[in-house]
Amino acid sequence: MNFFIFGIFVMTFLMVIAKRMTALITGFCLQSFFLFGCVLFIAYRSADNGMYVLAGLIFTLKVIAIPLFLRWVIKKINTNEDLGLLVNPVLSLFLVIILTVLSYYFAKEIVVLKENLVITSFAVSLSVTFTGLFIMVTRRKAVAQIVGLLLMENGVFLTATTLCGGMPFLMEIAVFFDIFIIVVILGIFVYRINELFTHIDVNKLTKLRG
Amino acid sequence: MEIYLILIIPVVLAIISALVEKPVIAGTITTIGYGVELLISFCFANKILAVKHFSEAIFYADALSAFFILTVSLITFASALYSISFIEKDVQNKKFPESQSKIYYLLFNLFTFSMYLVTLVNNLGFVWIAIEMTTLASAFLVGFYNSKHSVEAAWKYIIICSVGITLALLGTILFYYTVSHDGGIKSLNWTDFISVASKLDGHIIKIAFLFILVGYGTKAGLAPMHTWLPDAHSQAVTPISALLSGVLLKTSVYAIMRFAIVTNKAIGSGYTSHLFVFFGLISITVAAVFVLVQKDLKRLLAYSSVEHIGIIVLGLGFGGPIGCYGALLHTFNHAATKAVMFFGAGEIIEKYNTHNMRKIKGAVKAIPFAGVFTIITAFALSGMPPFSVFFSEMAVLYAGFVKGSYMASVVYIFVLAVVFYGLVEHIAGISFGKKPEDMIASKDPSITKAAFIFLFVFVCVSGFLFPGFFNSLLKAASGILLGNI
Repeated sequence: MNFFIFGIFVMTFLMVIAKRMTALITGFCLQSFFLFGCVLFIAYRSADNGMYVLAGLIFTLKVIAIPLFLRWVIKKINTNEDLGLLVNPVLSLFLVIILTVLSYYFAKEIVVLKENLVITSFAVSLSVTFTGLFIMVTRRKAVAQIVGLLLMENGVFLTATTLCGGMPFLMEIAVFFDIFIIVVILGIFVYRINELFTHIDVNKLTKLRG
Repeated sequence: MEIYLILIIPVVLAIISALVEKPVIAGTITTIGYGVELLISFCFANKILAVKHFSEAIFYADALSAFFILTVSLITFASALYSISFIEKDVQNKKFPESQSKIYYLLFNLFTFSMYLVTLVNNLGFVWIAIEMTTLASAFLVGFYNSKHSVEAAWKYIIICSVGITLALLGTILFYYTVSHDGGIKSLNWTDFISVASKLDGHIIKIAFLFILVGYGTKAGLAPMHTWLPDAHSQAVTPISALLSGVLLKTSVYAIMRFAIVTNKAIGSGYTSHLFVFFGLISITVAAVFVLVQKDLKRLLAYSSVEHIGIIVLGLGFGGPIGCYGALLHTFNHAATKAVMFFGAGEIIEKYNTHNMRKIKGAVKAIPFAGVFTIITAFALSGMPPFSVFFSEMAVLYAGFVKGSYMASVVYIFVLAVVFYGLVEHIAGISFGKKPEDMIASKDPSITKAAFIFLFVFVCVSGFLFPGFFNSLLKAASGILLGNI
């Protein structure tokens, strides 16, 4: 368990220092793989069939389908690989570390149970969520915002799993379906933006003001 | 029984409209469908008053839900009516091909379906999913014209709202954590939340509610998370703008209300009250500034929505029987008034072919029916008596004084005056004056007129002259807000 949480944690930092889109997507793919391992481990421990299904869903959707789809979109729009960093990798890393430390104290405040593993994993999931938000704000390309959103969802999902032992099964399935639809819709819009503006730099989308 | 009918009708309409080729026929069928839906929701509300609440399988409905369903039905019916000739005109003007109108009606129906779903499900997780569904269904309607502006607006809409909603999910999970850990019930049902509310951990509840308020508040258009709203509302197809402003924002407020009731029961109403007053005042103030300097007609109306959502939330914050009653009444009044306003703006924009208010002059002469309605409704919207918005705004103000929040009340009334000036000045500017020389005055199709008049009746009377049924529904709903489940 600790190993998987650690993996998710490290992948988050790798995503923060990524400069190219494919690197970011690979980071997301690997992180989802660790998330898959984490859920599989919990499923094994609790012998819960629903959890096995969930692990399978994570593997097919987050580890395979979504990264493939995003790569396909990038290839299709034929843009340069640069993410358009507003904050350079070193400073980003520094800021995210601060976010992580804050998450840890926050988690310690909230969790009543003094079980160490719960606190750690909750802190990690919070920091993943906030890192997702951070990436969305400080990277200029549309694809980076999609990955940031996915990262946030990963964090929230990890919170649900580690803190509450998962949400009701039907709800989890619905959330997954929802994520998949969002990514497809966002992919379509990236395609349209590229067609209309001939770039996918969302910071330059400033026609609407005031 | 009614619950299922309310949910089935939009789905059936979605399937039908996806199959029908002619936009006029699809529009007519949709309108008739929502006429029936309106009748059903009326009967449903009547029934709820007698039996207090329904609870079947995953559904739960009480007076609060019935009130929101009635509001949604009303605005949806009017928008469907307005859509018929509006879409037909757009097709004729080659704004999009006829084949695309099928997609419009399909998404229109899915969009309304998801809004009904929000108000009817018991499970707060499904409420979350339904609210996310509203975003997904309406994103393509915002970007429908596929121009640079509309695609940009749609992108911002979906990204910002998805971030917000993700935070709301985190809040929901934290609620679930304390309910299952301290309350001992592994369930996301709102009724279960309420039943264990007194056992919950106040510490976690506070943080969780903050996430909920920021998350759903983003979708509701509370400042400073409102940045997507003016873009999306100004670029969407006009009947959809009316739906977005009129009812979509309110479904998010509804979700916040549900969580607020649980929070109030767990830790007392002081906490939510402070937050509501804070965000309410910020929204009204930010909106006022942007209303004053606005050039784009539809953005003006969008900012006015930010202001009115602020008033609703402020009413909740002042609380007490009058505050809650005022907030709910305002929900209804704003929905009806803003929809008429968007219809009028849509007609004017169509005629002048520009959003820029400086280029529009003499709308009353160029397009008499819609022009006259627009200027009258502008007065109604900015809160002039004897129109309905005035009464609900005064109810909120009164609640503020009753509660003793004098500072907040004074700020509130001052900003209202500013908005009144801004809105009326802008709309008067486009309504009067000389119309362009070469423009021929045009008449609206009678079907569009019907949509205007239908809603305008509510704008005029729902402030002071409402039937006993409506009054008791509002009282029951505000009772639920106060915690008398």
